[in-house]
Amino acid sequence: MKIKTFSKNLTGIVIGCSISLFSLAEVVVIVHPSNDAALDEKAVQRIFLGKEKKFSNGKEVLPVNQVPSSGARSSFDTDTLGRSSTQIAAYWSKLVFTGKGIPPKELDNDAAVLAIVADNQNAIGYVDSASVSGAVKAISLN
Amino acid sequence: MKKLLTIAALTASTFTAQAEVRINGFANLIGGITSSDESLYGYQDKISFSEESLFAIQVSGDINDKMTATGQIVARADNDYKAEFEWAYITYAANDNLSISAGRLRLPLFKYSASLDVGYSYHWVNAPKSVYDVPFNNIEGLRVDYSNYSGDWEYNLQFAAGNYYTETEEFSLEGEDVLAITAEAQNEGFKVRAVAGRNKSTFIVPALEPVFAGIEPFISAELLQDLRHKDSTGIFLGLGLEYDAYDWFISSEVTSIDSESSFLQEDIAYYVTAGMRLGKFTPSLTYEAKESDDTMKFADQVSQLPASLQGAIAVLGDVFADDEETLTLGLRYDMDTNVALKGDISKHSDNLNKSNDATLIRVGVNYVF
Repeated sequence: MKIKTFSKNLTGIVIGCSISLFSLAEVVVIVHPSNDAALDEKAVQRIFLGKEKKFSNGKEVLPVNQVPSSGARSSFDTDTLGRSSTQIAAYWSKLVFTGKGIPPKELDNDAAVLAIVADNQNAIGYVDSASVSGAVKAISLN
Repeated sequence: MKKLLTIAALTASTFTAQAEVRINGFANLIGGITSSDESLYGYQDKISFSEESLFAIQVSGDINDKMTATGQIVARADNDYKAEFEWAYITYAANDNLSISAGRLRLPLFKYSASLDVGYSYHWVNAPKSVYDVPFNNIEGLRVDYSNYSGDWEYNLQFAAGNYYTETEEFSLEGEDVLAITAEAQNEGFKVRAVAGRNKSTFIVPALEPVFAGIEPFISAELLQDLRHKDSTGIFLGLGLEYDAYDWFISSEVTSIDSESSFLQEDIAYYVTAGMRLGKFTPSLTYEAKESDDTMKFADQVSQLPASLQGAIAVLGDVFADDEETLTLGLRYDMDTNVALKGDISKHSDNLNKSNDATLIRVGVNYVF
């Protein structure tokens, strides 16, 4: 009986995972239109993990994240950073409590990220590819 | 116009770095129970939450562009939840790569030293005690952190110097001229870490004083000096390796602690841990061991003494000698990006005293904010 409940739960989890997998959005990294820095996946990883504080052109970098509940966040963490959101959270907890870093600010949604990035020359963020507007520059990482 | 104002307000509220005070916290609630009549890490055969649980708050504020003040107040269950400032330091960030911290801070002896109290940061219920259970972790002094990368390798170097003093019901330990150098390098999932440290320490165990008083009249001043752990130079060495392929990981640390003139033997401790990440679940297996060198210290001198004295000196060496191993099967469940639930079962064997063998089950909740 117990085994049955367990496997039922397991099926639930598996289905849950695959649903969230399908609903994962394709995200693009965005910067201010005037930003001419060279950015590849590695550079973006380092910026969002607090390891790099400047763009390749020497300008200060201001990464903006999205809240963990947003679809863009889980795709970005998984696809670009290569870790689950909880692992990224564990990574930051290590840095925060050793005084070695402050995680990027978390904004509520694509609109908030677009507004900041369009307004700030140092900002870098990511949004669902469908949300990209002409006010920001989308970066292809590949 | 309204939109512009909203953006301005958002920009201002999100990015005011000056005079910002950040408050973060973490909590570990850990309960454990051993099988009948056994004891391990303070747990017994009645469930207890007062051995490893803790609550902490960290406050940090920017003094100016380059300087930050950080204080961490920790309330530990095994200290009756008395809140104490375990860390209090000021960090000067000279540039993006180099920072200097001064005050009371964590000595970077181990891979997880810095986040040892933040259960959320690792997969275990608690870090392996064989390696991590050392008498002191914090120093009053300074630490220099340097980090950079070269090609695909990221590396960081740490240098720490300071003093410490710690006292329990069983002993007092005072350390001076603590120096530690740490180097860590990472390439993708591969990480290697090495540490070397030294200090001058004085270790006093009131319960052993009668033994010293008893042998003192019969041994040379030189041998007494050798056995007494007074201003003794101690050397700490450590090596860590890790490979993390995301779906699975394996990691290990080995350390050695040796004191030049002391009745304590050299201790070697290590662990190997491996786990898998299956969605929100992280099952893991950890083997850890700690063993003291069992060759008699200062054998040249001691072997010339009468048997009864040899016996008394052997007692000194045996009091803190270890030869133990523990196997732990653990499970972490990520409930949220700030909460993890954990459970583990450990089988502990003491090869010097079988009556210390124990099986322990622990459950825990880790929270960070």
